[in-house]
Amino acid sequence: MNKATSPTDWKGQAMQSRIARRYASERRFKLFGLAAVLISGAFLAFLLITMVGNGARGFTYTHVAVPIDFKEMPLSIDTNRLGDDDADQMIANAGLADIVAFASEEALGSDAASLISENAWKEVRTAIKDDPQLLNGRHNFDLPTSSAVDIAAKTGAKSDVSATVQQLKSEGKLSTGIHWPFFRNADATDPAVAGIWGALKGSVLTILLAFIIAFPTGVLAALYLEEYAPKNRWTDLIEVSINNLAAVPSIIFGLLALAVFINWFGLCQASPLVGGLTLALMTMPVIVIAARNAIKAVPPSIRDAALGVGASPVQVVFHHVLPLALPGILTGTIIGMARALGETAPLLLIGMRAFIGDVPGGLCSPSTVLPMQIFLWSDEVDRGFVEKTSAAIIVLLFVLLSMNALAIYLRNKFEKRW
Amino acid sequence: MTFNAAALLILIAGLALIGWLVGRARSTLLARRAGTKLHSRPQYHGWYVALWLFAPATLFLALWVSISPAMVTNEVLESPAAQSLSAVGFERAAILSDARAVAQGKQQMVRMEKAAPLVQPYQQASRKYALIGVIAMFALALAGGLYAFTRIQPHFRARSRVEKIVMGALVLASLIAILTTFGIVLSLLFESIRFFRLVSPAELLFGTTWNPQSGAAVKDTFGGIPLFWGTVLIGAIIAMIVAIPIGMMTAVYLTQYAAPAVRKWVKPCLEILAGVPTVVYGYFAALTVAPALREFAVMLGISNASTESALAAGIVMGVMIIPFVSSMADDSINAVPQSMRDGSLALGATPNETIRQVLIPAALPGVMGGILLAVSRAIGETMIVVMAAGLSANLTANPFASVTTVTAQIVKLLTGDQEFDSAKTLAAFALGLVLFTVTLLLNIVALRIVKKYREAYE
Repeated sequence: MNKATSPTDWKGQAMQSRIARRYASERRFKLFGLAAVLISGAFLAFLLITMVGNGARGFTYTHVAVPIDFKEMPLSIDTNRLGDDDADQMIANAGLADIVAFASEEALGSDAASLISENAWKEVRTAIKDDPQLLNGRHNFDLPTSSAVDIAAKTGAKSDVSATVQQLKSEGKLSTGIHWPFFRNADATDPAVAGIWGALKGSVLTILLAFIIAFPTGVLAALYLEEYAPKNRWTDLIEVSINNLAAVPSIIFGLLALAVFINWFGLCQASPLVGGLTLALMTMPVIVIAARNAIKAVPPSIRDAALGVGASPVQVVFHHVLPLALPGILTGTIIGMARALGETAPLLLIGMRAFIGDVPGGLCSPSTVLPMQIFLWSDEVDRGFVEKTSAAIIVLLFVLLSMNALAIYLRNKFEKRW
Repeated sequence: MTFNAAALLILIAGLALIGWLVGRARSTLLARRAGTKLHSRPQYHGWYVALWLFAPATLFLALWVSISPAMVTNEVLESPAAQSLSAVGFERAAILSDARAVAQGKQQMVRMEKAAPLVQPYQQASRKYALIGVIAMFALALAGGLYAFTRIQPHFRARSRVEKIVMGALVLASLIAILTTFGIVLSLLFESIRFFRLVSPAELLFGTTWNPQSGAAVKDTFGGIPLFWGTVLIGAIIAMIVAIPIGMMTAVYLTQYAAPAVRKWVKPCLEILAGVPTVVYGYFAALTVAPALREFAVMLGISNASTESALAAGIVMGVMIIPFVSSMADDSINAVPQSMRDGSLALGATPNETIRQVLIPAALPGVMGGILLAVSRAIGETMIVVMAAGLSANLTANPFASVTTVTAQIVKLLTGDQEFDSAKTLAAFALGLVLFTVTLLLNIVALRIVKKYREAYE
């Protein structure tokens, strides 16, 4: 029998080719793994680059310089009343819109109405309220352009207005700069004046309320379950329901809120109050689970030592266990809050998708939240809203990523290995 | 005057703070006067007074806020101006709410003429009840505070009292989870039963036509099969085809091959993927992925490709699930004892043979549990499908066609302008019940598998 062809001979050809095959498969497998990591990374990069690429333009807007001579076209208003609440109404009634329309027609030609935003006169109004002296003479105002002109000026894309835009550009009348109304205003139908401040404030109110409710209850529930609860059917039931609530689809919480908070209790629809309550119910199980893990990580020796020097069980928990577990609890809470901040589905069902043109005043006034604003704008027909949507997404992602970064920082700084 | 609950709450909290200081000072004073030691430290006496001051008054406030509007309405209905109101419930409610909005200053003018005479009684009644409420609340707070104050003695066991209250609060907080679960189950069941009186459950579960007409419950329009199929196609098939291989391979690579430095950077990046809000994924799917897929389909010669496709929603949802699958697989692989891995390597197996033939089979129950959880998350996902999958209920296996899901239909049914009691809105709750039941079962099974598997290696 020829030894060289024995299947177990290390140097034999069959063995060598088998080993080569196995090593090749090893390399292939490793490559698949790397490819999987790269695919997920590429998707993340693609998503972020698309959003930033589209959205960066959303923070700027194009203005056109239009001279308005208030000596020729006087605005007959009482300048002493500009500080009053109804000053806006007063200026509107005095016909400022017509003056601005007329002045822009003089400056830009007969199709001026299609070049400037229909809300351009409101910027003039704000300027007059800030400085009534403007009314005494001729001044250049930078008026927001219509969204078609804005897009043509920023992207250079071909459209009906690109010829005019080229001409205005060569005359040096167009300027593109950071668009503050985007951060100052609430939603509007005109991309020139639509902003995220209303939605942002709604989000802040909603999340604050959710935090105020969910954090204490979540932590207290976790303390009870982890430190005091006797093992019986009741505590099992509590445990099972918390674990399941954490995995229930968010839209179910929207149905609950609609049925209980709005139809049964009759709380104010589409308000941060109901939104906050809904998100609180949704985040509480997440906080409980995170808090229980943090509490579990505190070593029993600390409890024993405190009990040994005569502390009562409540003192042990509130003086020793809770402070030691707090960094872990906070990390979990921040992550849960970040998730609640990005949540849209349950809020759709409680009516927060309505168009809200005002900044919400309080917990019971109708409002919207940032993710909802993104959803609403993504449905808009006007092309100007595409970049606004991406800009809003950038703001939302920035807030969420900062929250997550804070959570990771807290975890790394205060995490103790016992 | 309206009833400003937040301001009152702050006021009561301020009173409680004063009560705390007074209680603390009083206990020290009494102890010094009697020349004995206190049973409990002074701040417990303070807490005792503060809690007695705060808790009854706040409970009363909560009660009053919820019942006083009904009492105000009753009072208004008894006033002479309300005697001419029509008996039709709907019109009557509209007039009353109109008058209430004006009385509370939410509205400048009445919208309906008949509401005008009611504004005055409304204002009077709400002022009266607000006054009663405020006075009663303060009386309660003071009574509670005084009661606690008189009980302060050097030998009074304030600490045990306070601790009993704290324990009560802990139990109460953990009961909220049960209350929420019951709330979900009851509200879904209650509305679903009303729906099933109009449409039989069998039709919802096995009917093949989904085309709800507004208002009336027309027969054969509430067949849920197209929705269930769409949900399964997007959430359980396409998304999992994307998420399972990529998630698993990522976990394998990161746990078995990657250098610690790579792992340290890649894991947080994956967590970012999990932290992106679903509305952003939805926008991305609708704006970028769906048009690209449509062009691809047209290139392949599929003419009826739609801009809203199951594939776009499914792929993006799969990407969303990747970090979830990956971290579940990561945990399960790490839980396999090192000795099994070492044994396999020692026998001469290459790392990939060890992974495929030892680690993954050993980790399989945990991985399966993780995948079930991922499926339950995918079928409950709403925004991506609302924005990218469309709303037309097609019973098709073509991934380039537009399909709809249970969650998308719930949103569609509840965001129109219909009466709350119509068959359409009730159908949303019935769909919600189906969704809740399915995800609950998936979760229970998955958690049980994961738990059992963990015990096997501990």
